[in-house]
Amino acid sequence: MSQGRVRPMGWRRLLLLPIALLASLAVVLLARTIAQTPNLDASWRLDGNGHLQLIATDLPWMRPALGHSLEVIVAPGITPLVVDGRRVANSTRWIANDDERAAAAEQQRHMAHILEAGTPVLLGFTDRMNARVVPHPRGYTTLGITFWLLCGLGLALELVGAVVVLVRQDVQTFLYAIMAQCQAAQLLLAAVDAVPGMGNISLLGGHEAALRMSLDVVTCAALLNATLLYPTPLPPRRLLSWLSWIAAIVFSTAALAFDLPQAWWWCEALSLSTGLLVMGLLGWSYRITPHPYATVMRRLSIVTTGSLALVTIVVALNDRMPGEVQSLVTAVPVIWTVFFASLLLMSPFLARSQHMMREFAMLAGVSTLATSVDLLFVAVFSFNQFASITTSLFVALGVYAASRQWLLDQMIGARAVTTERLFEHLLRIARKVEEQPERAADWQLELFHAVFQPLVARHEPGFTQSTRWYEGGAGLLVPLAVEPPTDVSPSQFDDGDRPEPRLIVLRFAERGKRLFTAEDARLADRIVEQLKRAVAFDQAVERGRSEERSRIAQDLHDDIGARLLTLMYQAHSPEEEDYIRHTLQDLKTLTRGLAAHSHRLSHAAGEWKVDAQNRLQLAHIALDWQTHFDRDAELSVVQWSALTRVLRELVSNAIAHAQATQLSVSLRLSDDRLQLVVRDDGRGRNPQAWAHGLGLGGVRKRVKQLGGEVEWREAQPAGIECTVVFPHWSLAAA
Amino acid sequence: MAVKVLILEDNPAAREFLGRVVRESFSDTITIVEAGDLESARRAVRIAGGAQGYHGVDPFKLILVDLELPDGSGLELLEELRQYPATKIVTTLYSDDEHLFPALQSGADGYLLKEDRFELLVEELQKIVRGEPPLSPAIARRLLGHFRTHTRTAMNRRITDEGNGAALRAPAAAGSFTSSLAFAAPSPVEIEPPLDLPALTPREVEVLTFLSKGFTIKEIAALMSIKWFTVNDHIKSIYRKLNVSSRAEAAVLASKQGLV
Repeated sequence: MSQGRVRPMGWRRLLLLPIALLASLAVVLLARTIAQTPNLDASWRLDGNGHLQLIATDLPWMRPALGHSLEVIVAPGITPLVVDGRRVANSTRWIANDDERAAAAEQQRHMAHILEAGTPVLLGFTDRMNARVVPHPRGYTTLGITFWLLCGLGLALELVGAVVVLVRQDVQTFLYAIMAQCQAAQLLLAAVDAVPGMGNISLLGGHEAALRMSLDVVTCAALLNATLLYPTPLPPRRLLSWLSWIAAIVFSTAALAFDLPQAWWWCEALSLSTGLLVMGLLGWSYRITPHPYATVMRRLSIVTTGSLALVTIVVALNDRMPGEVQSLVTAVPVIWTVFFASLLLMSPFLARSQHMMREFAMLAGVSTLATSVDLLFVAVFSFNQFASITTSLFVALGVYAASRQWLLDQMIGARAVTTERLFEHLLRIARKVEEQPERAADWQLELFHAVFQPLVARHEPGFTQSTRWYEGGAGLLVPLAVEPPTDVSPSQFDDGDRPEPRLIVLRFAERGKRLFTAEDARLADRIVEQLKRAVAFDQAVERGRSEERSRIAQDLHDDIGARLLTLMYQAHSPEEEDYIRHTLQDLKTLTRGLAAHSHRLSHAAGEWKVDAQNRLQLAHIALDWQTHFDRDAELSVVQWSALTRVLRELVSNAIAHAQATQLSVSLRLSDDRLQLVVRDDGRGRNPQAWAHGLGLGGVRKRVKQLGGEVEWREAQPAGIECTVVFPHWSLAAA
Repeated sequence: MAVKVLILEDNPAAREFLGRVVRESFSDTITIVEAGDLESARRAVRIAGGAQGYHGVDPFKLILVDLELPDGSGLELLEELRQYPATKIVTTLYSDDEHLFPALQSGADGYLLKEDRFELLVEELQKIVRGEPPLSPAIARRLLGHFRTHTRTAMNRRITDEGNGAALRAPAAAGSFTSSLAFAAPSPVEIEPPLDLPALTPREVEVLTFLSKGFTIKEIAALMSIKWFTVNDHIKSIYRKLNVSSRAEAAVLASKQGLV
C-alpha cells in the first residue's frame, strides 16, 4: 500500500490542513456535547447481581447511599426507570441477543431522556435509601483518559487515511481511506462508550449498534477489495468485489432501516468470513508472486481473525458467565477495536522504517494494554480513574517490554543473519574479491544473498549512489562496492561497449517472507562501505608485498644476472655457455614470476611458442605448435613458472639429445584437464632406461608439485613422446 | 669509409661480446666507439656531430644502448637522440614488455637480448638493420592496449562533445525503479586537449593480434594470405606510429608543463 516514493505535495499539503482541522473540530464537538450533557456526578460499579453500586460521589445528599445499589430512577413527567446495570453501562454493539440488545438500547435511551430533562430526579437505592439530585453537566475533566486516548487514536487513523489518499490517488488508497474512516468513526463511538458514568448521550437514538455494525461490515468489504488488488491482482476480483459491496450495502440497509433480526450474528459472520477469505487470498497471492507484503499481511490477518473469533465467542457466551466476569467481557471488544485500528494505522508504514514500525507497535501495544487494564480495574476492582490509569500504564509497559522483540519478529520477520555471521561473511567475501577481482561482482552478490536471503538477486547495469529500496520494501538496489577490473586484453577487443554491472538488485527478503526496511538499506550501505575499506586495506597490503617482491626480483636480476652474463661471455666451451644461459633463463623466469601477479594462459602460450620457436630454429628443428583452450585460465605464478620451465626443459632435451628434425607440441585445456604433449622424431629410445639428471628430474618434480603426472614413451615410427597431464588444473594453483 | 658504431654498455665483457656481434654482422669496415656510462656516450655523440646528427660530420650509423647504466637509464640517451639518424637498438637482459616498451616508445628501432646465442644475435641485428624489427607477444599485446586506449579516448571525446555535457546529468534522484536502472555511468571527464594520434589500420591490428598469440611472421603471412615482407611492412609501420604517438604525447606533456 505504500510506495517507495514521495511526491512533492504542494496543494495536497494545503488540503491536508483543513482536513486535520475538521477532524479535530469533530472530536472537540463530541467532547463538548458529552461534557454539557447533564449527568449524575457519581462513580458506579456493577455488582454481582447486575446492579449499579454507588462507590463514590461528590454530592453531599448522595453520600448516605454509598455502597448501596441503584434500583429505580424517577423524574417528574417521565415513566420511572427500573435500572438494569448491565444494560445501562454497556455498548449495544456487543450484545449478541436481539431482545437483549433492544432492551439495552431502550434502557439507555430512557436513562438519557430522564437525565437530559434537566429536572431533579429521585434515585431509589436498595434498603429503601432515597436521594434527590439535580443532574448537571459533567464538564471536560470527568470524561476519562480512555475517552481521550481512543479519540486520539481515531484522529490519527483518520489523518493517515487522508494522507494516503492525498499522496497517491488510486483504487487501493481509496479503499484504505474507506477502512481508515470507518474505523476512526468506530473508535470515536467506542470513546463515547468509554465515558464513565451511566446513560449515554441520546445522540444516535437507538441506532448505535446498527451503525457500528455497518461500519465494521463496510470495513470488511474494503479490506477484501484491497486484498484482491494488492500486492498481486487476483483473478476473481470482479466477482468477489461485487459480492462484498452488495453484502455490505444489504447488511447496512437492513440493520439501519429494517432492524434486521440476528443482526449481530450476521455482522460477526461477515467479519469472520472476510478474515478467512483474506487469509486464503493472501496465501494464493503469495503463491503467484512471492511478495513479502503478502506474507506479512497474512500473518497479521491470522492474528486479527483469530482474536476476532475469540471476541465473538466470549461475547456470545456472555449471558452464561457469572456477574463479575460479565463486566470484564465488556472490555474485550474495545481492546479488539483498538488493536485492529492500530494495525490499520501502521499498515501503510510497514516497510517505511523499521524504527517507525517499532514506534507504532509500541503505541498500539501500550494503548491496547493500557485501555484494557484500565477498563478492567475500573470494572472489577472499582479503582478510581487515576489509580487505575497509573497502574494500567505500568502493567502495559511491563508486558510490552517483555514481549516486544517477539512481537516485532512476528510482525516483520526476524533477520536471518546474526552480527557474527555477517562479520564472517564480510571477511570471507573481502578475501575472495581480493583473490579473484574479475569475479568481484559475483562475490558481492553472494554476500548480499547470504545477508538478506532474497528470492531474487542479480546484477543490473545502472547507477546509484547509495542503497535504495523500492515497491514498498519488496526490493533493494545496492551499489557495487568493488567494481571488477576493466579488461584490456585483446581477446575482448570488441566488446568494450557492453555496460558493466554496477548494481545489485535484491527482491523479496528472507525468501519472500520479509519486507526490506530503511534499516536494511542502511545496513547494506554499511556493508558496502566496510567491504570497500577491507578491499582497500587488502590491496594496500598486497601492493606492499608486491613492491617488496619486485625489489627482490630487481636485485636478483641486476646483480646475479649481470654476473652470470659475464660468466657466460667468458665460457670456455659451448656446453658451459649453454649451462650458464640456462641458469640465466631460469633466473629470469624466477624474477619475472616474483614481479608478476598472474598470467593468462593464452598470453603465456604465445610467449612459450616464440621462445621454443627461436631456440628450435637455431637447431634447425621444425616446430608444430597446437593449442586448444576451452577457457582462458588465469595462471598463478607457481603454475606459470612451472609450465614455463617444464616446457623449456623438454624443448632443451629434444635439441640436446634427440637430433630431431621435427618437434610437435600440443597444449590442451578442457574440462579443467590440462594436457601437454611434446613429441620429437629423433633417435631417442627406451625412455624407461634414462638417467634423469637435473633437467628431467626437475620436470618430474614440478609436475608432481602441481598434482600432475608425466610419462615418456616411444613414439611411432621414431622419437619420444612426453605426456604431462594435470587432471584438475584449477586445483593446481598451489 | 668505415661505419661508426656506438656501443653503450657498462659490462666490459658484454661490450666486447657485442662488438664481436657487430663485426660479424656486417661486411663493411667497422669503427666501434665504446662507452661505459651515459656521460661518455654523450661525449662521443657530441664529438661525432651532436644529437641532431648534422651532415658533413661523421655520425654514428648504429647505436647499441644498454638500459641499466651506472649513471642512469639508457632511455635518457634514446630520448635525447630521437632525431638522430642512426639505427638505435636496445640491448638488455630484460626481455619483458615492462622494460622494452618504454624503450620502443623512446624511438628504439629494435632490441637484442644479451643472453641470446651469438649466432641468433647476429641474425637479429642484421634483421633490425634491414628493417625487420622483432616484436614479442608481450610487446604486441602492449601495443594493442596502447593504441586501443588512444582510440577509446578519442571516441569518448567525441561522445562528450556530441552529448554536450550529458555526462554531467545527475541520475534520477527519486524516480521509479526502472528509471533508476537506466545506464547513467558518468563518462570520464576529458581534461586532455585533442591529440591527433595515428591509429592502427585493421590489418595492423590483425598482425599485432597474431603476434601476441605467438605466430611467426611466416605463419601470419600464410594466415592473412599476404607476403611475409608485407607483414614486415605492417610491423615497421606500427613501430613508426608508436614513435609518432609517443612523440605527440611528449609534446603535449611538455606544453602542459610550460616547457614549449
